[in-house]
Amino acid sequence: MNIEERLWNYIDGGCAADEHQAISSMIASDEAVRIKYQELLALNAGLTAIEPDEPSMAFTYNVMEAIRAEQAQKPLKAAINKRIILGIALFFVITITALLVYTFAHIRLAPPDINAAIPSSLKLPQAQNLLTKPVVNGFVFFDVVAALFFFDAWLRRKKKLSSIQ
Amino acid sequence: MQSKLSDLELIQETLGGNQAAYTELVKRHQRFVFTLALRFAKSREDAEEIAQDCFIKAFRSLASFQGQSKFSTWLYSIVYTTAMTFLRKKRLDTDSIDDENTYIQVENQTSAFDVNNAENRSRSFYLNQAIGQLLPDDAAIITLFYKGEQSLEEIGQTMGMEANTVKVKLFRARQRLKEKLERNLKQEAKELI
Repeated sequence: MNIEERLWNYIDGGCAADEHQAISSMIASDEAVRIKYQELLALNAGLTAIEPDEPSMAFTYNVMEAIRAEQAQKPLKAAINKRIILGIALFFVITITALLVYTFAHIRLAPPDINAAIPSSLKLPQAQNLLTKPVVNGFVFFDVVAALFFFDAWLRRKKKLSSIQ
Repeated sequence: MQSKLSDLELIQETLGGNQAAYTELVKRHQRFVFTLALRFAKSREDAEEIAQDCFIKAFRSLASFQGQSKFSTWLYSIVYTTAMTFLRKKRLDTDSIDDENTYIQVENQTSAFDVNNAENRSRSFYLNQAIGQLLPDDAAIITLFYKGEQSLEEIGQTMGMEANTVKVKLFRARQRLKEKLERNLKQEAKELI
């Protein structure tokens, strides 16, 4: 270890007590070592005094905006908590099971009452009247739009898959 | 009020969904992260890009921060790896000062020094200039040691080295820095350092 390295150790406070003592006395007695020490000490003070550089004013804003944009881009699938989905599914399974159990428990196995008649006060709607031309046209139009939408989605997915491969 | 919170408390708040806490963390560390990035990138635009990338990466993996080291040490290790990747991508000139082009650069700076009035320039300016001429690793070690308030062990963690290796590298970096200062300033260096 040369004298410069020892002096840096001394300045950084990284040397043992006996080494510290030895260097202190060298600085006190040897002119060349003292000059070197003061030179290094000045450099050390200069380095300590350097101020860190400042990024642009909008730096923090840009970082937070980038984070917000990244979070907004997350697919909805990733944002949904799977536990909530499972909870909803469980609710429906339990409800349907309970209804089925209740229904089967109350089924009468006796033959149905053949003489049962529809009460005269009950008027059933005429299906023929509901199927007017505008309704049919609307239905066909909706089907065509839905078909185009799904076809477009399928093409996009296919394109995406081929670009990944 | 948030500025009084420690880094760890701000991290907990951020993980709890409070983005304002992360804004505070960014504000707290941005100057040093930017300075460290500048040691690698040399241009302010690239340094800002690296620094921004680092804060985004840190946000993404904040949940994996164990708190075993200082947040700054963890963050600086992200800066170091991001900056190294950036250097590899951009293929910036990371050659030694012995490179011919660097000599030209140094000579130009010296002649600029002759033209301009050196007395008007502060010691920090010349030190920053000389640090800018060092190899990225040397510049980063000096910056981490003096500005990042990092111990040799922490610098070792950041750069993936042993503390003793960092110590030797720090010594050599300071030696090279002194040489650069002397070369840039010739006689005036004696007065400045």
